[in-house]
Amino acid sequence: MNEPVRTSADFDPAEGAGEPGNTASAPRRRFVLADDTGFDEVPAKYRRFYRRWQGPADELEPNEVLCPVCKVVIRSARELRPGDRVYCMPCMSRLEVVRGASGRLEAIVRY
Amino acid sequence: MLEARTAYSIQYWLESCPQGYLKGTEYGHDRGATEPALVLENPILRDEAIGTTVQLVVGERAALAASSGLINAAPDAASKTFLATQTLDEARHVEIFTQRLFDLGVKHDELESTIARHANPHLVRFAEILLEKVDKKDFVAGVVGQNIVLEGLAFSTFEMMQTANRDTNPKFARTLSGTIADERRHVGFGENRIGSLIREQPEKKPEIERMQKDMAYHMLATFADRFRGQAAALQEARRVAQQQANPAGTAARSHVWHGTDLSNADPREMEAVLAETVLKEFKTRLARIGLEYQSPERP
Amino acid sequence: MALDAGELHTREHAGFLAEVHSFEFWFQSVEGYLHGRPHGISPDTPTLELAPARREALVATLSTYCVGEVAALEGASGMIGFAPNRQCKIFLATQAVDEARHLEVLLHRLAELGVEDAEARFETRSNRHLLAFRDTLLRHVAAKDWLASVFAQNVILESMEFAAFQSHMRTADPRTAEMLGGILKDERRHMGFGENDLGRYLARQPEARQRLREIKQALDPLVLATFEESMTQLALPASERPELGRLYLESVARLGIGS
Repeated sequence: MNEPVRTSADFDPAEGAGEPGNTASAPRRRFVLADDTGFDEVPAKYRRFYRRWQGPADELEPNEVLCPVCKVVIRSARELRPGDRVYCMPCMSRLEVVRGASGRLEAIVRY
Repeated sequence: MLEARTAYSIQYWLESCPQGYLKGTEYGHDRGATEPALVLENPILRDEAIGTTVQLVVGERAALAASSGLINAAPDAASKTFLATQTLDEARHVEIFTQRLFDLGVKHDELESTIARHANPHLVRFAEILLEKVDKKDFVAGVVGQNIVLEGLAFSTFEMMQTANRDTNPKFARTLSGTIADERRHVGFGENRIGSLIREQPEKKPEIERMQKDMAYHMLATFADRFRGQAAALQEARRVAQQQANPAGTAARSHVWHGTDLSNADPREMEAVLAETVLKEFKTRLARIGLEYQSPERP
Repeated sequence: MALDAGELHTREHAGFLAEVHSFEFWFQSVEGYLHGRPHGISPDTPTLELAPARREALVATLSTYCVGEVAALEGASGMIGFAPNRQCKIFLATQAVDEARHLEVLLHRLAELGVEDAEARFETRSNRHLLAFRDTLLRHVAAKDWLASVFAQNVILESMEFAAFQSHMRTADPRTAEMLGGILKDERRHMGFGENDLGRYLARQPEARQRLREIKQALDPLVLATFEESMTQLALPASERPELGRLYLESVARLGIGS
């Protein structure tokens, strides 16, 4: 199958990462990241990778995870899975996506 | 006249510097600008560029340590605020000159050994004299040493380099123009802020004047080492620049700085005009703030 | 060199750290929220007339904040001299300017509130617990104690301030709220620097945790008391106050130094 050509707006993180042993997992969904989420704390070219958290009632999308250090939502151009690495630029943290006790995806800091 | 309180503020600095002359730049130059091929591909010129840039990194590291170290000793909020902006200016200078070393092909894991190899020992001693005052939290001596002597040296040196590189290396010239704009503010703070403090503490004058004399000696010794050791590189640079600009072989464009044509002057002439310019500025500025310039020994 | 945005999350860690600790990154980041906001506030943001008691409480609280910002300015700038590498030095230089800007915008807001001697008297108006914290922090800096300085300043102080300013913003008048919002955006970087730097240190030297616990024990009460008092002055609902320590307690738990 030919994959559509991806622009930088579609490109995404940690190619090849995913849950260990899960070689039969379905292809990851892709997301187009809108340029302007109103997040203005990082250089313009990175702003679409972050948005403000709206609080405990904020339902995160499959391509989003909350930074535990600074409570900014990190976004990806593709669906996130446990084992993925993401960076939070607002607080300069490296994080790994994990499945939390609630069953939802969370991020833990990898110093 | 711009009120001192406003001139030293973060708001003024934001509007002048990051929102002003640095807007749209990357590491102080136009985005995507590169070192000229004639420097990167010529071992003599590349080595000279690395050697020169190392001295700039050494000087800026000292300036960063000094300005940040003086904040705690500053007597008022406006001085602390100004020194915070100067600290960030100096950090930026460290960053852009370090980046230039990487652009010239110095590998990241060889940065410190490259600096150690090329750093002029007189420049290192110049910095040590200043930092001794900063470590003692001597605000007045520290600001004279940093903002009159070191920044005065930097200001004239950068102006001279910018003139010399204007046509052959627009990237480096652009980088320098931003640092010159920063140094203007730093020198201005030194003159304007320190005058009244020296009047209040006249007993400090002899010690500060001695410091100035020692620093000026090591500065002149650095110039002597750099210019006298670079005759071959200078000749090569002119030959290549001439070829590139004018394959037919007619005279290259002149670059006059303080009455000296940098495209034709020999190393001793260049050393002399830089030394003379810097020392003359020292004399003038020190007199304005109530200090007597001390002539250094000549290396 | 700067990352290509399309490959943000795949970048190797050293390159990411080099970029986010740089002047270039800071410069492009702050431009997003400082441009067009002299002294941190848009010219169009309305001025609300405050009742005398509310104004007095706000003046006392902002004065306390000034002490914190001067402490952080002197702390961050003092740490540059003994920071372990170039990237840390450059980051701390950006933090020093951030803190100086915070002091400046707070003094500016106090002047807007009609306080004529703000700079001369903020210390006398401020919380004594925070003055004691400041003295301890600056002793660590004078002793060139990197671990203690980073922990006290960038983990304890900055995360407490973050939580306090966030709470305060919810009930503040529009101009104060906007000013605090800009400060918060800087604090994210400062907190992040502290936690990550300590995290990397503790990964190499886990035995240092014991020392950090001792420092924490000495400083926790001072900072918590400071912000409790400020939130009381501002009449923040009691239900919100536990939030003040939560961000900080989560951070120390991640670092493995919680009690």
